[in-house]
Amino acid sequence: MPATKIAAKPSLKQIGLSKETLLGLYTNLLKTRMLDERFRKLFRQGRFAGTYFSAVGQEATTVGPTYGLRDEDIIAPSHREIGAAVTKGIPLVHIVAQIYARINSPDKGKTHPCHYGWREKGFISPSSTLAGQTVTGTGCAMGFQIQKKDNVVIAFFGEGATARGGWHEAVNYAGIHKLPIIYVCQNNLWAESVPAHRQAGIKDFSDRAKAYGFPGITIDGNDVVLVHKTAAKAIERARNGEGPTLIECKTYRWYGHSEIDPADYRREEEIIEWKKGDPIARAENLLLDLGIHTSKKREAMVEQINQEIDEAVAACEKEKYAEPEEAYNDVYSENFPVRRDDY
Amino acid sequence: MKKTTLIEAITQTLFEEMERDDRVFLIGQDIGLYGGVFKATKGLLDRFGPERVIDSPISEVYIAGGSVGAAMVGLRPIPEIQFADFITPSMDQIIQQAAKLRYRTGGQWTCPMTIRVCCGGDVGGGLYHSQINEQWFFSQPGLQVVMPATPYDAKGLLKSAIRGEDPVIYFEHKRLYRWVKEELPEDDFTVPIGKAAVRKEGDDITIVSYGFMYHRSIEAAQALEKEGVSAEVIDMRTISPWDRETIYESVKKTSKVVLVQESSKTGGVMGEVSASITEEMFDYLDAPVSRVCGLDVPAIPFAPPMEHFFLPNAEKIARVVKKVMEY
Ligand SMILES: Cc1ncc(C[n+]2csc(CCOP(=O)(O)OP(=O)(O)O)c2C)c(N)n1
Ligand SMILES: [Mg+2]
Repeated sequence: MPATKIAAKPSLKQIGLSKETLLGLYTNLLKTRMLDERFRKLFRQGRFAGTYFSAVGQEATTVGPTYGLRDEDIIAPSHREIGAAVTKGIPLVHIVAQIYARINSPDKGKTHPCHYGWREKGFISPSSTLAGQTVTGTGCAMGFQIQKKDNVVIAFFGEGATARGGWHEAVNYAGIHKLPIIYVCQNNLWAESVPAHRQAGIKDFSDRAKAYGFPGITIDGNDVVLVHKTAAKAIERARNGEGPTLIECKTYRWYGHSEIDPADYRREEEIIEWKKGDPIARAENLLLDLGIHTSKKREAMVEQINQEIDEAVAACEKEKYAEPEEAYNDVYSENFPVRRDDY
Repeated sequence: MKKTTLIEAITQTLFEEMERDDRVFLIGQDIGLYGGVFKATKGLLDRFGPERVIDSPISEVYIAGGSVGAAMVGLRPIPEIQFADFITPSMDQIIQQAAKLRYRTGGQWTCPMTIRVCCGGDVGGGLYHSQINEQWFFSQPGLQVVMPATPYDAKGLLKSAIRGEDPVIYFEHKRLYRWVKEELPEDDFTVPIGKAAVRKEGDDITIVSYGFMYHRSIEAAQALEKEGVSAEVIDMRTISPWDRETIYESVKKTSKVVLVQESSKTGGVMGEVSASITEEMFDYLDAPVSRVCGLDVPAIPFAPPMEHFFLPNAEKIARVVKKVMEY
């Protein structure tokens, strides 16, 4: 029988996710996008110092795996995980405060923008050393295994970071001991100005898992449903003691490496092509097709998120920086004073 | 004549040395297509091609260690570490290979390479984009460590490093990249490794520093001059092996010393300089050797008030100088 093409509308059953999950994923995508775009604007206006690493275009890759995690599960992030920060539930005001380096930031202004963290939600404030948290995140997973807890760790990193020796040491160890960790590679095709083919001799970075004896899978990172379902399976495996999974999400960053990077090393057509696959628009169209979303609802959501962001930004702009002497805090535990020199 | 910035001096030198010696090649992150995150290697890929200007993956172990190997077989690698903060993965190769190669092979193998390291604070870089970490390399014999404070020295020291026979850690302070400018001679020149410069003569006290802190020191000295304190200012230029002679000569003259360093005080370069002066020049001293350094905390914090609090500046230096003067 000749195959007939039927433009069938998808059903919730086919998709295999609940309405609640789909709306949850979508809300986090939208919130991440709006927050990210707001930060870019605020940076250009000179409202906060340092720099900013936008993840616009990559939201599904971080929101998908993070949605549905427990508070005790740990996120070991790199620098482009605003979506994971939002989805894991770091309060918005903490995220904004981190960007503004104000005293109300969990790190009290010690680290520079996009290094979010919030212990209560198992989100590690990262170092900037690429793949640094892939190693310590693997250590967290080892800790959970030793403690016989069924918590998991998700380590996020760019494809570029997988060229680091430390990355390989960690992943190798996880393979030996079947650690409860999910490695999510955000392959956005570029490490700053260096294209993926100059970073590795393989095309699919998930191939790296083969060398370490656990499953690696490459997926469309801009399809939030696929990302979420793939990650959910890996998370279940990890919780059941069946070991790690490496998920490579192919995605794309729409803007420069940071806001001061014109990104003129990329072809215009490449950018246009990837923008067509906007992960937010794709999720939105799916929800519309499923009949669980309307443009009116969207308007209301946008308005509400905007208001939340406005409030958080206003609150942080009112906050002060920590006193200079804050520099002396959190060096050691309290019984070990830091040497202070009065100049 | 046109004034050249410190970063332009570096770019120029790379052009000139690659032109002069085809054994010289560059390897590092974003140095080719992008011309470096600060544009220090701009234009070099176009001129010399991808075999001599290599965009590396994010592999600091290899950037350093691969360069050691290439140097062993006759090339003159100039690996770049994008930020001094990220040199830590390279430590194994720098400390165990580069620094010890000549020694462990009885001089049969050598490692003529120049690791360019972009470093330093006062740029709003926070914990992981402000570090220098020069003390780690300073404390490792077998490595030479330099940090130019002027475009002239940037050029002259880089040439000496590239033409020399030993591994050199060449620190480029990013705060100085576009801030300091001067006219440079047209002709080829070098600045010897191991020689400090007396930048300002004075009789009352000696201020020793290097890199960005040299500029803070000279600012302090100029302010002090108005208050009747005549400070001699020495720019070490080379941190290892450091120029004891020049510093000791100055101590003989002034009998008082203030040492200034951007990195944390404990375990820093100036601790060693101070100990050596005290050990060898005690009879000449009229006051305790004093230091003005970065705070003893893990790294430079990001928020501007904390960053400023961390860093030595002209006022802090002047206060310490006055205290020593009153001793
Ligand atoms: C160990 C280390 N080396 C270099 C850097 C500087 N750096 C920051 S981000 C980056 C590119 C990262 O590429 P990738 O891992 O693909 O992540 P992406 O930025 O594309 O999200 C580089 C080289 C760093 N932070 N850490
Ligand atoms: Mg990338």
